[in-house]
Amino acid sequence: MIIKKDRMGALLGTLAQHKTVFVPALIDGVSKFAPYREGLDVRFDLHNTKLPPKDLLFPQTQKMYRYGETAEGGHYVEQFDESSERVLFGVRPCDMRSINLLDDVFLTKGFVDEFYEAQRKKLLTVCITCAAPAETCFCESMGLSPNEAPDADILLKSCEDCYKVTAQTQKGEAALADWRDFLEDTQAQVLPGKTSLRLNFEGVPQKLSRMYEDPIWDEISTKCLNCGTCTFVCPTCYCFDISQENKMKEGVRFRCWDSCMFSEYTAMAGWHNPRPTKKERVRNRFMHKLCFFEERYGKTLCVGCGRCVECCPVALDITRLIDDIGASDA
Amino acid sequence: MSDIQEAMRSRAKELLESGEVNAVIGWEAGRFENQTTPLITSQAAKTQRLVFNEYCVNNLGKYPRDLTAKGKVAIFARGCESRAIIRLLSDEVIKRENVYIIGIGCPGMRDRTTGELLKKCAECRHGDPVIYDEMLGEPQAKPATQERFAEIQKIEALPRAEREAYFTNAFSKCIRCYACRNVCPCCTCRQCFVDQRREGWLGKQNNIAENRFYGLTRVMHVGDRCIECGECERVCPMDLPLMSLNRKVIYDINNLFGEYETALSLDEPPSALTTYKVDDVEEFM
Amino acid sequence: MPKITVQHGCAKAQLALVPKVAKVIKITVETPDVKSFRLQMPNGEASFLGEPGQFGIMGIIGSGECVFVISAQGEDWIEFTVKRVGQVTEMLHALSEGDEVFVRGPYGNWWPYEDCRGRDMLFIAGGIGLPPVRSFLQYCLEHRADYGRIDLVYSGSTYDELVFKHQLFDEWKTVDNMGVHVSLYHEDSRWDGEVAYTAPYLEKLAIDPMGSNGEGRVAVICGGPSLYRTGTKELLKEGYAPENVLTTLEMRMKCGIGKCGRCNIGGKFICLDGPVFSLEEVAQMNRDE
Repeated sequence: MIIKKDRMGALLGTLAQHKTVFVPALIDGVSKFAPYREGLDVRFDLHNTKLPPKDLLFPQTQKMYRYGETAEGGHYVEQFDESSERVLFGVRPCDMRSINLLDDVFLTKGFVDEFYEAQRKKLLTVCITCAAPAETCFCESMGLSPNEAPDADILLKSCEDCYKVTAQTQKGEAALADWRDFLEDTQAQVLPGKTSLRLNFEGVPQKLSRMYEDPIWDEISTKCLNCGTCTFVCPTCYCFDISQENKMKEGVRFRCWDSCMFSEYTAMAGWHNPRPTKKERVRNRFMHKLCFFEERYGKTLCVGCGRCVECCPVALDITRLIDDIGASDA
Repeated sequence: MSDIQEAMRSRAKELLESGEVNAVIGWEAGRFENQTTPLITSQAAKTQRLVFNEYCVNNLGKYPRDLTAKGKVAIFARGCESRAIIRLLSDEVIKRENVYIIGIGCPGMRDRTTGELLKKCAECRHGDPVIYDEMLGEPQAKPATQERFAEIQKIEALPRAEREAYFTNAFSKCIRCYACRNVCPCCTCRQCFVDQRREGWLGKQNNIAENRFYGLTRVMHVGDRCIECGECERVCPMDLPLMSLNRKVIYDINNLFGEYETALSLDEPPSALTTYKVDDVEEFM
Repeated sequence: MPKITVQHGCAKAQLALVPKVAKVIKITVETPDVKSFRLQMPNGEASFLGEPGQFGIMGIIGSGECVFVISAQGEDWIEFTVKRVGQVTEMLHALSEGDEVFVRGPYGNWWPYEDCRGRDMLFIAGGIGLPPVRSFLQYCLEHRADYGRIDLVYSGSTYDELVFKHQLFDEWKTVDNMGVHVSLYHEDSRWDGEVAYTAPYLEKLAIDPMGSNGEGRVAVICGGPSLYRTGTKELLKEGYAPENVLTTLEMRMKCGIGKCGRCNIGGKFICLDGPVFSLEEVAQMNRDE
């Protein structure tokens, strides 16, 4: 089955009648996943959106519950459920993998995060393979392929003027019913993508576990600004803070993205901070991505999307770090 | 530029080997074509990695703040670095004897993907260092190709609703990564109001109200100390027009208190917003 | 006897991120800056009860939350002992009996009380480190026959800083085969007992690391960073096996359920895998202090 590229607009229009369909789009110069509507600058040609799709499942600010006083003088708590039927359309293999990793975080290890779970169940994922990865893409070095996305409900393989359509899950199979009018039963040549940036990641997590006190952390953290850019554009960074906003006797408690780069992140009551300087914070971020997560979930928390490589104000480059660790004799 | 690069390497090496400085701040090549990244090193051998080309986009001027506690540093300084250092000096963040300034004339830097002159460099009025201990090569005397307040005047000419939309739009994009603050040589508070969680000035939620509160508070706090290096705008991952905010304040200062440009020499600490005169304009009263 | 094995992971997963409203039914002033808050669910709803060592999160309605080990619990109540150190704890201290708070939990792992059966026990705490230790000590006392000799070494910098004075100086003194050893770091006009830091006091007490039955005594230690450092060093010097020394690690926490990220030490999340670890495990961690 294929769908012609010039039929995509019509397909999106149809799908958007029933569900909110998030597509990669350019809005005010920033590319991100936005709800499809007529006139939106939809961009399936971008390598990666600047902002990852994680906020569909894990919004930057998410209301958890409201509270206030009852007429009897007690208090009430009322949980929010703002989940809705959504389609993530045009996500790339690296971002698809990032959702698989977020699933591990929010849905496993003893506690299920009810807010994440509610939205995850209502999400259909449609992935487009990458025929031409960007120079900063290194997914293949992180064990992914730009041509596959095993976790996606529907996979669109990039061809010259069309996409080859495959349903990969029952959910995807069922969803394809709405696509019938746009699909053609013809063959097409898939354009395979290849990343030009290659790293040797083998053995890096094991080496890192022995490099906690290595001088490399002093070296790379010196130029770090300790801003949160890398963590916010990262599709897999999932740390959050919990806070509240009150109006008179009522309030809302919400969670919001937080960053391990911020000094306040680990500061305890009385201001003792186990990660007092840039060095400890930078070390924790990279160790978490490349080593600690592996110890905990058996997977690497970097998908090679290249966003942090692209966005870091001082070009502190995770790919160079990986190469340096790989070359070290730790 | 390759002559300058050679001179940078040998001077850096000499300064480190002689023990005159503890660390050197410059640029080195990144992984990708036309990409550079700050290089901060105490090892003489590493000075061979120093580069100087049209893609040295980072203003290095804030690094002395973190480094001078451990001893004297040498920094390669163009106009923007030299003014950042004046900022740190007049805000008493660093001491003059702890920084050795090696001046370099600047022709303006380019975007690594488009090859175009960076916006901040097109707007730059002082490409050559305004303070230095020694100079490598000749000043470039690059003129600004953009009129300083052209953008502000354009925005001010807009109808009120459009002006409001302009800023609302901008702040709706902000992800509050604080890159603008952390890169800024004026943002050197020991503890930023953003991080004062006990006082709770700023809510943690991301919405236009909180984002705008952060952005505007920062602008007013930077106020008359902004050296117009444009780094905040360059590093913003969401492309917020941050310099138009900063310049609006500077534009008003110029209109209210006469011609004003800060951090051009050590003798003139910023004064416009910190000095009170009885005949100050008080339009809002 | 089995090797002491600390289990990692939440003992009883109940409430995740959304709290319940609880009523403060009793406030005990322990010291000038420490109070214990006894909480009960309104309308007769069953309270969550934890395993010894588990913690809960108590919050001011309309403000922040803080993490506290459940220092005591009854059939339908739990108690948190709170030192006034920051913004939220200051607000907690301003509460009165009858006020309502948010509470969620229980979280974290628990003291390995099963594996410790038959052993002699040494509890070591400093200042506000006693409440987490007491949850375990109390369990041992409730199952007195299951455990051998029990010693408690507790110190504080001033007399005022000592919590649970009634138990220290009355109740526990009468327990069979139990020694209570209290010291102050500095001279105090109200104190005629031992004046010593914890480590030298331990050295002086010379409590046999093998225990009376030769099976190896279990030491449980909880206190500030310096007590932890010097105390554990002393225990190892005296010959305690690292797997027989148990402690709780502390990091800033927000979610309590191993999701929000900040409390990791290496690949472990203190809120979910901890807070209880053996010294043997701590030694293998890549750890920020």
